[in-house]
Amino acid sequence: MIEAGQPLIQIQDLTKVFYTDEIETHALSGIHLSVNRGEYVAMSGPSGCGKSTLLSIIGLLDTPTAGRYSLNGKTVENLDFAERSRIRNQEIGFIFQSFNLIGDLTVYENVELPLTYRQRMPAADRKSRVMEALERVGMAHRIRHYPSQLSGGQQQRVAVARALGGKPSILLADEPTGNLDSRNGEAVMELLQNLHREGATICMVTHDPRFAKHAQREVHLFDGKVVAEEELRKLLQETSA
Amino acid sequence: MSGLLQDLQYAARQLRKSPGFATVAIVTLALGIGANTAIFSLLDQALLRSLPVKDVDRLVILKYSGSNIPGLLRCRTDGKFYFSYPMYRDLRDRNSVFSGLIATDWTQVGVQWHNQPDLVAAELVSGNYFDVLSLQPALGRLFAASDDLKADASPVVVLSFSYWQRRFGTDPGILNQSILVNGHPFTVVGVAPPGFHSVVLGDTPDVFVPMMMQAEVMPGSKDLDSHQSSWLNIVGKLKPGISREQAEAGVAPLWYALRSDELKSINTTGESEGFRDRFLTKSHLLVLDGARGFSPLRSDVQMPLLIVMGMVALVALMACANVGSLLLVRASGRIREMSVRYALGAKRRRVVQQLLVEGMLLGSAGGLLGMLLAPQVSSLLISMLWSGGTGDLPFSARPDLRIMLFNCSLALFASLLFSLAPAAQFWRPDLAPALKQQGTTARSGSLRFRRVSVAMQIGLSLTLLVGAGLFVRTLHNLRSLNAGFTTDHLVTFGIDPRMAGYEPVRTFALYRSVFETLSGLPGVRSVAATNDPELANDNESGNIAIAGYAEKSHEDMNVEQPNVSADYFATLQVPLLAGRAFTLQDSAESQKVAVVNESFARHFFGDPQQALGHLIGYGGATPKTDTAIVGVVKDSKHASLREPVTPTLFRPYVQLSQAQAMTFYVRTWQQPESAEGTIRRAMQTLDPNVVLDTFRTMNEQVDNNLIAERVIALLASGFGVLAALMAAVGLYGVLAYSTMQRTSEIGIRMALGATRASVVRMVLLEVLWLAGISIAVALPVSLLLMYAVRSQLYGISGSDPLTLCGMTVLVTLVALASAMLPARRAARVEPMAALRHE
Repeated sequence: MIEAGQPLIQIQDLTKVFYTDEIETHALSGIHLSVNRGEYVAMSGPSGCGKSTLLSIIGLLDTPTAGRYSLNGKTVENLDFAERSRIRNQEIGFIFQSFNLIGDLTVYENVELPLTYRQRMPAADRKSRVMEALERVGMAHRIRHYPSQLSGGQQQRVAVARALGGKPSILLADEPTGNLDSRNGEAVMELLQNLHREGATICMVTHDPRFAKHAQREVHLFDGKVVAEEELRKLLQETSA
Repeated sequence: MSGLLQDLQYAARQLRKSPGFATVAIVTLALGIGANTAIFSLLDQALLRSLPVKDVDRLVILKYSGSNIPGLLRCRTDGKFYFSYPMYRDLRDRNSVFSGLIATDWTQVGVQWHNQPDLVAAELVSGNYFDVLSLQPALGRLFAASDDLKADASPVVVLSFSYWQRRFGTDPGILNQSILVNGHPFTVVGVAPPGFHSVVLGDTPDVFVPMMMQAEVMPGSKDLDSHQSSWLNIVGKLKPGISREQAEAGVAPLWYALRSDELKSINTTGESEGFRDRFLTKSHLLVLDGARGFSPLRSDVQMPLLIVMGMVALVALMACANVGSLLLVRASGRIREMSVRYALGAKRRRVVQQLLVEGMLLGSAGGLLGMLLAPQVSSLLISMLWSGGTGDLPFSARPDLRIMLFNCSLALFASLLFSLAPAAQFWRPDLAPALKQQGTTARSGSLRFRRVSVAMQIGLSLTLLVGAGLFVRTLHNLRSLNAGFTTDHLVTFGIDPRMAGYEPVRTFALYRSVFETLSGLPGVRSVAATNDPELANDNESGNIAIAGYAEKSHEDMNVEQPNVSADYFATLQVPLLAGRAFTLQDSAESQKVAVVNESFARHFFGDPQQALGHLIGYGGATPKTDTAIVGVVKDSKHASLREPVTPTLFRPYVQLSQAQAMTFYVRTWQQPESAEGTIRRAMQTLDPNVVLDTFRTMNEQVDNNLIAERVIALLASGFGVLAALMAAVGLYGVLAYSTMQRTSEIGIRMALGATRASVVRMVLLEVLWLAGISIAVALPVSLLLMYAVRSQLYGISGSDPLTLCGMTVLVTLVALASAMLPARRAARVEPMAALRHE
């Protein structure tokens, strides 16, 4: 196991190209990135810069075209579907912009869902994990509710609980406040802040500089490349001019 | 296990949440599975199921090859399965390969109990019948060999279990009581076990009578000592460890010896060496599998049942395709859900498991509902197919374990089949975009699958409609066929006075009274009778010899020989071609006369006029030729409308030495149905103990004769319409969905100047392509299938162009009609709204 402060994620010269008909789109080009255990990183940049693509690759939802990626010390860029599923289930917690709760499952069942995909996990353990996660986000009193009976902020807190329930190595949040009003958005950011203080590793994609400031470190992307903050500002000015 | 339970709970919740979808899917599956279960239940009983007896694998049926015995006096339709009693007795007593051989025949008898007459089915059986079949009585005892040693010496009877229930209310007091069988007292010695009907499939005898009592139960028959009466089926039980092949080889010398004895015992003068060779050297006793019992019925129902089974299998396939399409529509709304499951770590197996569990739940509900529907459908079919029979129906509609297993297996198979579509859709998910999407859309693969599924449904519905068209036209051809006699205003019923204890003299007297009484009834034009009823699948044939006629080598001299009354041809309105019809002057004392049909006259004499005056003898070999042909009538259909007319020789029934059961025909002035009450009352006045059998109009008799064709046409039409409806609904679903998917594309087209008509044309063109491809594939398949069932068609070929074109046009119209609504909806798209949608 990697000690705190050591890189949990190491990405080297990562490239992602999308092929549609005869067009090649270079979504990511030569990305180098490392995220240490316990770190809170925000990835920002203008729309279409590749930040969500990068997060999908980090979350093993997508595969890179080239480059190397190791998670928790293990090379993961060429794993098969089943192994990637296992790692997603055990190492990664997702928080999506549109919450992605399953409408036909109750709050409790939604949080329990990733745990049901783990083999040989006793029901009692699952229950204690689910309740613990829901208590951390302040939603334990709503376990029998369905997502449609909750506000957007409450739904996102349930989504955070679902991500936490599996005790993952890293939380990946893709525009977690994108579908929320500012008050609920702030509440979710505070929740992530608290989780980070308790030791969670978080990687968050956001285009909102206010929320990016909550992170320890910001990674700026532009046209599929990681750029320094100063350079990004200059590029943005050039683009707008 | 807990995962499976969770999936099950979730699946149930999903179905509760979409009651409309669940209802449509479950009802569709129930129709498909229920129809299959119902037809399979009949197919199983008719073709597959073994007799409910011990050591059933050792049961065999005997059949022989080679020529029939010369001068055969009495023979069933398929002579090679029927043996004389002396042959049975010798085979039973002298073989070394069977642990037992039983003989059986079927007849109707009149039973009287407490002065209540009843016409029932009887099985005439050898004394060892129940012993060889290892059956135990439900009450009393069954027959023993001692019950069947001497002719007329054992007036005992065993009741069938259902007759005991039906007629005697399961009263054990009936034991050792005397009942009258055809007027003779018989003692009830026992009741056969429940569930057992007969060793002959399709027969449901009410009483079993020892073979030696043949004279009492078949008045006028004296076949027990005759080698020239082939009337018994023989069923045997192999000795343990002996195979059918070994038995066949083991019994061959005995068969040869017995046939040699037969040849010696009869007058074979004039028979050629070729005949001796065919009778002896080339004759073999065949030992066939008898686990399912002997069955003339099996060959009758096999093809119709297989056709109907094929049709319902296609309907079930369509139901699966339809439900698969419905599931795909639902699946397209669940892409995000499934992607989330994958994102949270679900493996493919688990996601597929979830979908299969949902499918299984739907399939189980459909199967359960189908299981409830199946007995109703079976019962309806059984009552349609065997209407007018006496006693128990040969098949039961009650489902048993085998049927339940079939139903469950079908439901399971169907669930797997239609669950494959959504499972395939989620096999290779595109997770990142699916998780980002706010809306939910299907991928092109899903639409492609739905198109294929609908194309398959269009093709299957065309196949079923072509079948329906051909079977309906077959029925129409048969119905409009000229039977050779007038079927309107004609009533028919049968009586057998011998069953009420009448002797020959009294029987003839009663028949005369019947003619006199019925002819005098108001509204009656004329009355006639025959011992060989028309269009009743009945044959009364025998060999003849013609004086001065040189028989060709191997010429079949077996002809149909009905015995009829004087006014027979006038009453049935069969035209006379030459000579005269029978008159009242043709009596037992007068010159023996015969009237032949046109086929007979043309076959033997070349022309109707040439037949007149020729002398005929009965019984083959060299009989006395003392019957003069006095008339020739036009051909008419006899056993069934389908069968070609065979040479027929009519004789006046009064010139026979033995009285027989007769079927009467009453030609009426008024509607024949209205004459029933008057006729019944008149017959009741003559003798209330004489039971009237199958009273119906001749048109009802024609309908009854065409029952198999009617059932096939009815079912084929029903399944065809159902299939077309399913295809229409499926097509509508695909088009509604694909046009919704193309809303923005249509908006852009319209923004660029496309007219509403061109949009409608675009959608309809898509349908025509789909229908065109389906039809192109389905037509050759339909032709092949129709070729396979051509024996069931009549007056029409399996590739009848009118039917093929008509059904193709019909399917195309149905496809276009189902496309109109989505097409018009697409044409109403507002370009701006569509572009905003994008």
